[in-house]
Amino acid sequence: MSEPIFVVDHVTLRFGGVVSLNDVSLRMDRGEILAVIGPNGAGKTSLFNSLTGVYRPQDGSITMTRRDGSTMEVIGKKAHRVSAAGVARTFQASRMFSALTAYENVKIGAESHRGIGVVGAMLRGPLTRRDERQSDDRTVELLRFVGLQDRANTISSSLSYGDRRRLEIARGLATQPQVLLLDEPAAGTNPSEKRELANLIRRVRDEMGVSILLIEHDMKLVMSLAERLYVLNFGSVIAEGTPDEIRANPVVIDAYLGTTSTAEA
Amino acid sequence: MSRVTLALRSPTSRRLLTSLAAMAVVALMTGPSGSATQPMVGPTGSFGEHVSIFGLFPGPRWLLFFLFALVMWGIWTFWLRRGTSLRAAASTLATPPKRAFAHRPVRWVFYVALIGVGVVFPHLVTSQYWQSVMVEQIAVFVLLALGLNVVVGFAGLLDLGFVAFYAIGAYATAWVTGSLPTPAPFGVHLNPFFAIPVAIALVMVAGVLLGTPTLRLRGDYLAIVTLGFGEIITIFANNLYGITGGSYGSGGVTGKHGIPHFSINLGPIHYRWTLNPVPYYYLILVFVVIFIVAFSLLEHSRVGRAWTAIREDEVAAESVGINPLKYKVMAFAIGAASAGFAGVMTAAQSIFIFPATFTLQVSINILALVIFGGMGSIAGVAVGAMVIQTGSMYLLHSPPSGYQPADLYMYLGALLMVTMIFRPMGLIPSRRRRREIVLTEAGEGHMNEVLSGENP
Repeated sequence: MSEPIFVVDHVTLRFGGVVSLNDVSLRMDRGEILAVIGPNGAGKTSLFNSLTGVYRPQDGSITMTRRDGSTMEVIGKKAHRVSAAGVARTFQASRMFSALTAYENVKIGAESHRGIGVVGAMLRGPLTRRDERQSDDRTVELLRFVGLQDRANTISSSLSYGDRRRLEIARGLATQPQVLLLDEPAAGTNPSEKRELANLIRRVRDEMGVSILLIEHDMKLVMSLAERLYVLNFGSVIAEGTPDEIRANPVVIDAYLGTTSTAEA
Repeated sequence: MSRVTLALRSPTSRRLLTSLAAMAVVALMTGPSGSATQPMVGPTGSFGEHVSIFGLFPGPRWLLFFLFALVMWGIWTFWLRRGTSLRAAASTLATPPKRAFAHRPVRWVFYVALIGVGVVFPHLVTSQYWQSVMVEQIAVFVLLALGLNVVVGFAGLLDLGFVAFYAIGAYATAWVTGSLPTPAPFGVHLNPFFAIPVAIALVMVAGVLLGTPTLRLRGDYLAIVTLGFGEIITIFANNLYGITGGSYGSGGVTGKHGIPHFSINLGPIHYRWTLNPVPYYYLILVFVVIFIVAFSLLEHSRVGRAWTAIREDEVAAESVGINPLKYKVMAFAIGAASAGFAGVMTAAQSIFIFPATFTLQVSINILALVIFGGMGSIAGVAVGAMVIQTGSMYLLHSPPSGYQPADLYMYLGALLMVTMIFRPMGLIPSRRRRREIVLTEAGEGHMNEVLSGENP
């Protein structure tokens, strides 16, 4: 439990004069379900984008530890390199390849880290076909894992919100990550879908051994799911701790929970 | 509101009026020109003159164009509208992907029959003009359209300078066969057959060199950079007099020998291609089949899926580990390969090559073929290229009265506009592209409502 997967050290991200992340430091351990909460505009998604190589913070460092124990500096790496190192993510407004089927969406994730193999693709030799079979197997397995096996041939944009979230998780898992970053996975889902989602997230961690980093506004979901939380406000970390500690923390209540608890539900 | 205005507002009558107006414009455009002394000849002649088409329609022009308008209205109302209704769009999305010939043996029979038609076809064409057009203007443009389809259709990159790769392929052929003012590499004059790998390798390198710095740009910026690249290559060909022969073409003024024809000398087999276009047709046919097979395998491989992913959502594609730049450069190089091959064919067949063959208009022309045929659809761009090139060569060969060669691009433009309005996915749309267009037109949220209404 004590081996870190992400160490974020004094990271500052600015857009012109706007400071989106202000001297943020946090640590995520392998195998935990960690949540980041905070009011809108607190910098949660900016943090995600920095962790996945989409944004490039000006100061600080983000160190990621691979499965074999080697480390990588995330800042300055392209998003696809970070993905190759074992970081998968979902997006706040889910971003599917909307004209493709659920199956194709997951398969794209499953095969993205293999070599490019243009010549192989054009000749369709035995090696290519074996690769293809492996990706097919993995795709089927993952669709089954998230419970979308019956919707494999559905165009992803005609899936329900809840199904799209699960499809995005499957696509992320297809890249064989060590850590899965979920950006508001429960947004737009109904209560029963939320329960299923929470179960799915737990199963991802328990059965696949993938650590989970979660941004979520639904307090019930976060408190029941997360083992540890960071609270962001105006780009800075204002608190860290277990759900119980966070609930009791006066700073957090003042900044976030207390004032908006009725509206958040 | 009165009854008449209400009736005019109905979609059917609005379409009829639009068709009538459109045909009136076409009648005026194709009619005789007036002069200062008789300014009214234009309008009166446009409608009053008598015409006969193939001797079948002896009658005044207004009647002819009225009939055209009725046909246009009929097609619009009874055929095209079907494709754009929301319900049809929803069913496009809801039905799982199905292929035209799902049954495998049937599909193979169809393909073999198609190749058979391709093999027999030149024997049905007796006219000298059409035989050479078949090679120079149709087969070569099918190759070019297939190549540009990889770039525009598969990878979604707007390339307005595609002619550059065509030109590089042609000039590379002239170079290695020793037909340029500049000496051939190592002084060896090769048979054009060996120019094929050299030219393809060269254009692919050119594709990578152009692509690596420029493909970081998106959309319009990329289009402008490629436009510039196409112009640069043409200007090089025109101005590097000592190397390319300038505007005099590959022979220069010194009268260097022309680019030799293909020839095979393999043991007992000796064959020489000559000025006769038919053997060239077969050579190109072989390569068209090879390119079609290779490109469709590519489309349905992980490379093709990665291109689709990048085209649809580059950020999401990167998040699952796809390197967009790498795949885009690859699309550029692969598309260029087929253009380079087309260049070899043009060079070997036409003996001398001139910069005037490789103008911006050619780039636009190829792009028009791809858009008309259906971006991303291999069958579509091949058929589209054949249809448009046959049409424009027909107009060139036997122009209707009043038609000027320069009018071609006006009609091509009009054709594209009509395509975009009524059939935005092209003649034979690709499945993925059709879904993408349906999604953008109807909006995703709306689509879901329609869908949930249809199958709860």
